[in-house]
Amino acid sequence: MTRKVVIVPCSGIGKSYGTVSREGAYVVTEDLRPDTTQLVPLSLLVLGDEQARADVAGAQAITIDGCKLACATKMVAESGGTVAHDLAVLDVYRRHRDLKPAGIAELNEGGQQLAQALAEEVMTLVDELTDSLPLSQSNGGRARDGGQDA
Amino acid sequence: MGVKMPDLPKKKVGIVACSGEEMAEGTVTRLAALRVLEQLRPNETVTICLPLFLAGGEGDRAFARFYPTIAIDGCDKRCAARGTEMYSGKPAASLVVTDVIQTKHLGTARRLSKAGLEAVDVVADQVAQQVDELLGVKWDRKQGQPSKEAQPAEESEAKIATCSCGSGIPIQKVRVDSQEVTFIALPLIFEQFHDAGKLPGDGTTAELMETVKVYNPIPDGQEAAYTQAVIREYAAFCQEKN
Repeated sequence: MTRKVVIVPCSGIGKSYGTVSREGAYVVTEDLRPDTTQLVPLSLLVLGDEQARADVAGAQAITIDGCKLACATKMVAESGGTVAHDLAVLDVYRRHRDLKPAGIAELNEGGQQLAQALAEEVMTLVDELTDSLPLSQSNGGRARDGGQDA
Repeated sequence: MGVKMPDLPKKKVGIVACSGEEMAEGTVTRLAALRVLEQLRPNETVTICLPLFLAGGEGDRAFARFYPTIAIDGCDKRCAARGTEMYSGKPAASLVVTDVIQTKHLGTARRLSKAGLEAVDVVADQVAQQVDELLGVKWDRKQGQPSKEAQPAEESEAKIATCSCGSGIPIQKVRVDSQEVTFIALPLIFEQFHDAGKLPGDGTTAELMETVKVYNPIPDGQEAAYTQAVIREYAAFCQEKN
């Protein structure tokens, strides 16, 4: 059975970093690694939705938090998931000071580029995790072309 | 004698969006909430991230006890409404995008279509109307502001930032017997009593505890210990003020 890496962004609605976390998660799950990742909505975990809990239970998860309260990381842990990596948008920003995010409903150019940078960091972690999986659990369809799966 | 509520931002409405990342309707809730918060009713609304009810502290969980809330959900799972009620307090109103918008062509969660963006406008307008109803404000649509004859009796500026990440209702940790107990809104209650010239003493104790109990349930059999602790802290507060 193929087990995808679960990506859980925070639902931050008060700061740009929350939007960056959300956008970065979309870039990973839709553009960079659609075959080996799965986005799980945080709101469903808050409610204890059975399917969402089943998706994270036993899976390797990468959480992306927009603030120090780390809602995504805490919720995945509470839902029985294994947080393989927890990324903070602020840390990614510290590594890319030139990409200052602004806007919540709509990110500025810097925010969009920061989301891309964040997504590429997540992609690297996803690849490490999927490479470490036994063949029976890993997805063989991932292209090794620098992150541009078809 | 009625209990005088602490001078909290009672005149604001809390907006809680599900923000569901997996469906376009979730993005509609998020953008509609932001439209209300930033453009339509910026002075009348505050928000909180839904997961903060679990991941945050007692102050965050008290959100719906302080604000009448409007939950905006993308689907009939109603995560925002149910989550708010489960962990904080029953929303004063709730709205589900799929009940309001009939079209299924809203785009994707990541990129809304033109219809999706129009849905944001429709949902945001409905939420703004609900905000007005909850606050008892009639909106003059020609002037784009509240009609003069229907202004609320008093404006209460928010004294506490209650935005999403990290802020919340003020709390104070107090030692009751041998346990540390978190009291919600205690700093504001103390401030209010002090400003009203109600100094520590027998005449103040009953009223002070009545107000404290509005936001803080006191376990059976522990009334005396709680009262003693609150009075002790209030005396310290007044001493520091003076």
